[in-house]
Amino acid sequence: MPATDYQASFLGRISIRRNQVIAMDGNHEQELQDLELFSKHVSERFAELLSSPDDVPFDALLSISWLRKLLDFFLCCEAEFKGILMMGNDPSQISKPPLDRLIPEFLDRSVKALDVCNAVTNGLESVRHYQKLAEIVVSALEQKPIGDGQSRRAKKALTSLISAMNVDDKECSAAKATERSWSFSRRGVSSKDRVPEHFRSVSNHVAKNWSAAKQIQAMTNNLVPPRGAEGSGLASPVYTMSVIMVFVMWALVAAIPCQERNGLSAIHFPAPKQLNWAQSIIGLHEKIGEEWKKKEKKGTAGLLDEMQKMEKLGNILMDFTDSFQFHGDITDQKAEEAAAHAAELAEPCRRMEEGLLPLQMQIREVFHRIVKTRTELLNALDQVGKSSPPLL
Amino acid sequence: MDGCQSGVPTYEGDLHVVAAAHHIVKALGATKNLSDDLRKILIDLDSHLSMITSNIDSKGGRGLVDVEERLDQAERKIMRWETDPMMIWDSGPKEASDYLEAVDETGKLVDGLRGLSVHENRKQKEILHRAMNILQMAMSRLEEELIHILVRHGQQFEPKHMYSRSIRKDIVYDESFVSVEDEPIKETSSRNYSNDESGECIVDLVHADVIPDIKSIAKVMFTSNYGPEFCEAFISVQKEALEQYFSFLGTENLSIEDVLKMEWTCLSSKMNKWTWSMKIIVRVYLASEKQLCDQVLGGLGSVSSYCFLEISKATILCLLNFGEAVAMGPHRPEKLLRLLDMYETLACLLRDIDTLFSEEAGSFIQLQFHELLERLGESAIAAFEAFRVAISSNGSLYPFAGGGVHPLNKYVMNYIRMFPEYCNTLNLLLKNQHPGVADQVTEPDYGLDASLLTSCPMAYHLRSITSCLESNLHKKSQLYKDEALQHIFLMNNIHYLVQKVKGSELRLFFGDEWIRKHNAMFQQHAMNYERATWSSVVSFLRDDNPGSSSMSKSTFKERCKGFSVAFEEVYKTQTSWSIPDPELREDLRISTSLKVVLAYRTFLGRNLAYTDDKCVKHTVEHVENSLLDLFEGSSRSLRNSRRW
Repeated sequence: MPATDYQASFLGRISIRRNQVIAMDGNHEQELQDLELFSKHVSERFAELLSSPDDVPFDALLSISWLRKLLDFFLCCEAEFKGILMMGNDPSQISKPPLDRLIPEFLDRSVKALDVCNAVTNGLESVRHYQKLAEIVVSALEQKPIGDGQSRRAKKALTSLISAMNVDDKECSAAKATERSWSFSRRGVSSKDRVPEHFRSVSNHVAKNWSAAKQIQAMTNNLVPPRGAEGSGLASPVYTMSVIMVFVMWALVAAIPCQERNGLSAIHFPAPKQLNWAQSIIGLHEKIGEEWKKKEKKGTAGLLDEMQKMEKLGNILMDFTDSFQFHGDITDQKAEEAAAHAAELAEPCRRMEEGLLPLQMQIREVFHRIVKTRTELLNALDQVGKSSPPLL
Repeated sequence: MDGCQSGVPTYEGDLHVVAAAHHIVKALGATKNLSDDLRKILIDLDSHLSMITSNIDSKGGRGLVDVEERLDQAERKIMRWETDPMMIWDSGPKEASDYLEAVDETGKLVDGLRGLSVHENRKQKEILHRAMNILQMAMSRLEEELIHILVRHGQQFEPKHMYSRSIRKDIVYDESFVSVEDEPIKETSSRNYSNDESGECIVDLVHADVIPDIKSIAKVMFTSNYGPEFCEAFISVQKEALEQYFSFLGTENLSIEDVLKMEWTCLSSKMNKWTWSMKIIVRVYLASEKQLCDQVLGGLGSVSSYCFLEISKATILCLLNFGEAVAMGPHRPEKLLRLLDMYETLACLLRDIDTLFSEEAGSFIQLQFHELLERLGESAIAAFEAFRVAISSNGSLYPFAGGGVHPLNKYVMNYIRMFPEYCNTLNLLLKNQHPGVADQVTEPDYGLDASLLTSCPMAYHLRSITSCLESNLHKKSQLYKDEALQHIFLMNNIHYLVQKVKGSELRLFFGDEWIRKHNAMFQQHAMNYERATWSSVVSFLRDDNPGSSSMSKSTFKERCKGFSVAFEEVYKTQTSWSIPDPELREDLRISTSLKVVLAYRTFLGRNLAYTDDKCVKHTVEHVENSLLDLFEGSSRSLRNSRRW
């Protein structure tokens, strides 16, 4: 199909489909209906994610609850996808062109997604650590009246928090993780604000030299929209599901501290806008990509909404504790402001306390689901017995 | 509380009351088994009472001055260390307890002053801030001391002493299914892995002498509301120690993609290492870590299990992920035993895991273990099936030279010889694989009751594997053009099969009936061989007219020649054939001898008149001796040898 046709409007595509339907049997018509329904659901789900209001903190873009919704949708889409692919009419289809090529590629992507899931699970351990540090800040500053002692207690936790947040992405490359030692040289330490570095690094890396960004980049290899007649067959849900998988993994990596994310924003999604279902995903990609670019230069632990709030409030409170030490005392107004900010900081802490473990469990569920589908697809390929199953 | 500042005239009376109360509180505080909340209340009460005493004592005015003095004293003790390069706990027990006492005192003063602070006394507020400042300094210091103690007295233990690496791990079958050429048996399949290893092995991850120190630091930090700081520091050090130990065991983090791409030999050794590390990490390291957490943080509610979970989670997940990766990899037959090792290890550890992670937050880990176990079981069954398929589909284009024991046969038999060690696990996993035998599985342990063993699921599957093997061997035998060699091949191979079964625990699963049947089978092939080879040869020696005295000379000559040529031909061909088993070879020679030599001797004896003739090329002895050269696997010829 020439490029111009390919650029055709969505309506154009539909008319192509209608023409094809006429020539096909009822079975195929059913399949087409399933496909339409699938992309309709995908479109609706991601539109809902895109429309998450930024001002409602609970559901804000890349908040814990937003991510959980994203993973929920992933699981739903995945289930529907599998239904179309496996319970569909003719199982032998998956071993015929173009699926004989697309399915192994999809499985390859799945395996990569599994490693991303694990990297993100490791990253959540760091987030947990931030939460604990922030909780110390809150408990130090919520005491009244605020004195030098609490201020310094808060400052110490804040220093750890901010340096941990800044350090994670770079430090979590394998080599540095084990080098750090706990030795404290007491000599020459006169400041009464020593900060023992009790930040935890992401020492549990996925593997040496593993890079989340490269992994996701690799997932987009060979990922091209089906062309021509392929567009009406099973090639299209495979493509759709692939895009969803890549996007979900990409969003997780952008949100949560992760091993090596250099170049994350450069990852390009080969999803043409004229595909209706893809529009919200593209919108989300652009929105999150912008955010990432803004933060990338400064170095960020991740775009997780709660973490960003933590970082922002952390910096404000850091200024407060600095000025506290400088002036020795502070005005009541300043103290009240600080107390208010501390109370504000308690909010993301609370949401982390409630949401991190469920999020971790959900990522594990996604992991298991991907494994399961992969196994089933491999078994199906095996049974069709056309060719030897791929190693991956 | 108001009483202390109300200036009531009866100081003495008040003092007595307060002193009495103080006494009671102290006595109560000394009671063991107090709940944390209660202990906290008593401590608070204690400091309030101290404060009241000092206030009353000073007749209202001098109270704060007294508090200040006490604070000064504590501050001096605490500040002294701020400039000292030594660590307090390294300096001696006296120093440490002095310091703790000063911190404790400061904490009490802070609590006491807080209780009074409703009155917004400026001076009082100032002292409170000062006290809290000192407390913060001390807490910061204690955190450092804690980290220092944990690092300095952390102990690594040699995994050797914990679990000798099971010998069976070093047995052969790391080769892939196709590559096995020869019989690589080492008779070391003894398995020192059994349930008696389940005895708890707890070591001191931190030297036992410093546990009270850590505990005292924990106590004072938690009392002063610095619990979170304690936990974070404790978790950080212990988590890193575990990670270091993990890499010390030689276990490295691998991505799932890496594992799936790994060469079999490499993967096999990693699977071994996993099995071993998993046991040490769970049974020894984590059990010890749990004990440490309980020793240090016991009595603080869920703190201990929270810390334990945070310390161990990442490493556990890492171990689990390798298991997942292995389970999802291609199901190759050679993976079966390793998978079973992993499965058994995990099954064996489940109880430990359930105990270690019994709290709600740990149920996530528990669940992951159970899931992985299931996955490994599925994977083992798939590998088992792959093994069967590989046996049936192992094809050859050319006949196996010499008719000896085929490598496939050796591979399969040596491989399944290991199965009885995994009997219970295999029975459990295979139970549902065949509906016919499922009902018979009621007892998980089949013991040594022979009648039960032959009917367990594994026995069924073993027999089905050997029958796959047999039919493949039959197929392979068809590749020989020579019918006699077909029989030699089948005789050799079935004999080998039977020997392997008889010579191992397999016999219990195959049963006497099977052995009898297969004995008869290879004997039948031996007989068929004799018929196919020697019937025509011996036919030259046959007496056509049993009644008459002897045959004509020309007939004799002709018969003699025919026999020689046929015998030489057989000799030439069959010296290159092979019967690897010496006993079987011997048996076949004897029975051949009986048939051929006897016939030849009779033939010559009956025709004694002609035996000096040159036409008798071979003497009876020569024929008898020549038969000894057969089946040695190296071709020879009688043609060129000297004539008798």
